[in-house]
Amino acid sequence: MKLSTRTVPIESLQSEIKAWLEEPTNRISMLTSIDGAQLVLLMLKPSERHAELWVSEVKENRYTSLTLSFAQLHWAERAMWDMFGIVPEGHPRLKPVLLQDPYPAGYYPLRTAPLTGADLQVLDREFHFLEVRGDGVWQLPVGPIHAGVIEPGHFRFSLMGEYIQNLELKFGYVHRGLEKRMTEVPWQKASFVAEAIAGDTSVANSLAFAIAIESLLGVEVPPLAQALRTVALEIERVAMHTIDIGGIAGDIGMLGILQSFSRFRGIALGMGEGIAGARFMKAFIAPGGVRAEPRAPISKVLGNVKNMREELKRLCPMLLENQSAIERMDGIGKLKHALANEFGMVGVVGRAAGVGYDTRRHYKQGLYPNLDCPIAVEPAGDILARTKIRAKEIFNSLDLIERILSDLPTGAIKIDLPDVLPSDSVAAGIVEGFRGELIHVAFTDESGKIKRYAIKDPSWNNWTCISIAIRNNLLADFPLCNKSLALSYSGNDL
Amino acid sequence: MLRILSYLLGQGVATQRKYCPPLSAEARGLPVVTDAPCSESCNACEDVCPTKAITVQGKNVTLDLGSCIGCSLCYQACPTDTIAESKSTQRATRTRDELLLTNDPVLRAQRKSPEPTEPNMFRNSLHARVVSTGCSATDAEIGASGNPIFDIDRLGIHIVASPRYADALMVTGPVSKGMQTAVLRCYEAMPEPKCVVALGTCAISGGVHKGGYAEANGVTELLKTSIFVPGCPPHPWMILYGVLLAMGRQDMCVPDSQEPVLKNAVAAK
Repeated sequence: MKLSTRTVPIESLQSEIKAWLEEPTNRISMLTSIDGAQLVLLMLKPSERHAELWVSEVKENRYTSLTLSFAQLHWAERAMWDMFGIVPEGHPRLKPVLLQDPYPAGYYPLRTAPLTGADLQVLDREFHFLEVRGDGVWQLPVGPIHAGVIEPGHFRFSLMGEYIQNLELKFGYVHRGLEKRMTEVPWQKASFVAEAIAGDTSVANSLAFAIAIESLLGVEVPPLAQALRTVALEIERVAMHTIDIGGIAGDIGMLGILQSFSRFRGIALGMGEGIAGARFMKAFIAPGGVRAEPRAPISKVLGNVKNMREELKRLCPMLLENQSAIERMDGIGKLKHALANEFGMVGVVGRAAGVGYDTRRHYKQGLYPNLDCPIAVEPAGDILARTKIRAKEIFNSLDLIERILSDLPTGAIKIDLPDVLPSDSVAAGIVEGFRGELIHVAFTDESGKIKRYAIKDPSWNNWTCISIAIRNNLLADFPLCNKSLALSYSGNDL
Repeated sequence: MLRILSYLLGQGVATQRKYCPPLSAEARGLPVVTDAPCSESCNACEDVCPTKAITVQGKNVTLDLGSCIGCSLCYQACPTDTIAESKSTQRATRTRDELLLTNDPVLRAQRKSPEPTEPNMFRNSLHARVVSTGCSATDAEIGASGNPIFDIDRLGIHIVASPRYADALMVTGPVSKGMQTAVLRCYEAMPEPKCVVALGTCAISGGVHKGGYAEANGVTELLKTSIFVPGCPPHPWMILYGVLLAMGRQDMCVPDSQEPVLKNAVAAK
């Protein structure tokens, strides 16, 4: 969607945000900068399907940290220091989040504005963990390489006996410089870079990119392309939720159930192959539409949808109604509703703590928001609630896929786009990936080239949840809790 | 308990009996370069390639499969079937050179075909430590290769938790600056004999990340690599083929017909 821009003096930013958040469904969705000379905030008003951009000029390269008033901005402020060298003064835990020690002090990859302020301290990038002191407190470092086949990240536990007192995250191991790379390649080829942000979210990322570009150009894609994009997005949700539930079963020790879920993930990926030609549906969505017609007969995909629904109806209860499985999930890894709101949690994690926010209800993406899409909400905020949400969403998505495919529009799958994007414009793509609210924002310069491309993965909001949810829980419950959140390292690290 | 058991038994056998058959008709395969010369002054493939994997010189084209993300735009654009689609899943190689596909007869003649693999010490079992440094799509495909359909464990291939038990270091992703130390330390912790398998295009060359400030140019720049498995992500059969190649057991796979899909020939009919 095209974004209107509002200039807010940096002195009144605090009070303006406070006023904005008085409406409980309003959100601060992004805090970043364009070139290092200003703060940019993406403010959402989902109830009116509205989004706007606030721009505040930064003086002398520093400003008073917003984290103490708005806790959810704590990582965004750290990232702004990493990438732009802007110092949030008074930030309670200013340390790197994206660029760790291998990068030299004073290196700010996204900064293009001159570095002003004679007294600018060059802070080193050494990572100091929060220390928990006291008799019997011990520390457990885990990662960056984990035991299984998972992405890298470091967890530092402080424990009293078996109980977790504090968990601190050190990330940035998979930082590949994607925001910069998006501005280095011609925009016609940038969808392939967008797909590499997080491989399991490649549909949502390429869709968010396509929406941002199409909004800049002010074009509409044909109905058939919209329908196929929606189907691809829902197939991705079904596939990833299926294996995430399977992972829960596996971590509990129900390996047969895990293997069955794993097989159904394969069927979902096969549906992706039928629609898009590739299991992870890469190189399918492009600005202007989709790249190819469905490769399999629609009736075959519909048959798979039906088959999968029947099978999962039998399989899901074997986990969700199994008493020993419930006891591992019920009341463990709990996130309170108030904290979910305060930290702006999104997606499955938010909805499992009673936050009824799903961008498919509010923002244009594929056939949404005009396609009526049910939202699954659970109040408990624990592992069981998150697993139940995933199960419900699988069935909802299968219904949606069936509905769309049974009544596919006809016509073109793609429209031709001009070579040059409009100059000095800004637009956003907001998509509900399977993890939640995913946002891309593209800014163009005076020649129409993308000068800044900002990405906000849902995991960016939700990683803090793991530290909150696991506090005072047993260390042995951590893997299950982590699995139930199923967050992305690569989407976070970019 | 009885309910679960009866459910699982009722599922039957899902495991495929043949190893590494071609991809389904629906799947997009990776490109191959045929013998057909390019038409004069055609740069269609080079222009559309998102990773600069293709260079055209006169009537000859060179395609680096190690930089290819399998988007299929090149063989859709090629008017002469010089670049065509291949459904083969047996695309992994033992040298980086073999991934450079060309229709240039001079270059083809210069290329030595690699010596046949002798059965090696990993022949009967191979334990692998996977280190993920990328977007996780390839990790998901490794996960899939352990599912009941592909079931790589039946071949003595096991994914292990500690590098101390590992014969092979399998790297996914482009190994950007943040992960370089960790990958090297993991390799050092492995006992001899050991080998490195680059899984996926990012691990081979950096893919779409190549040349950026994060130095995400693949594991091949960091460690001597024995097996190169292209694809973004590689299909589970492609991963299995790469591992079998590391074990010297690639002859277990179904014969690879390697016939490219020629779209112009089909159109002519």
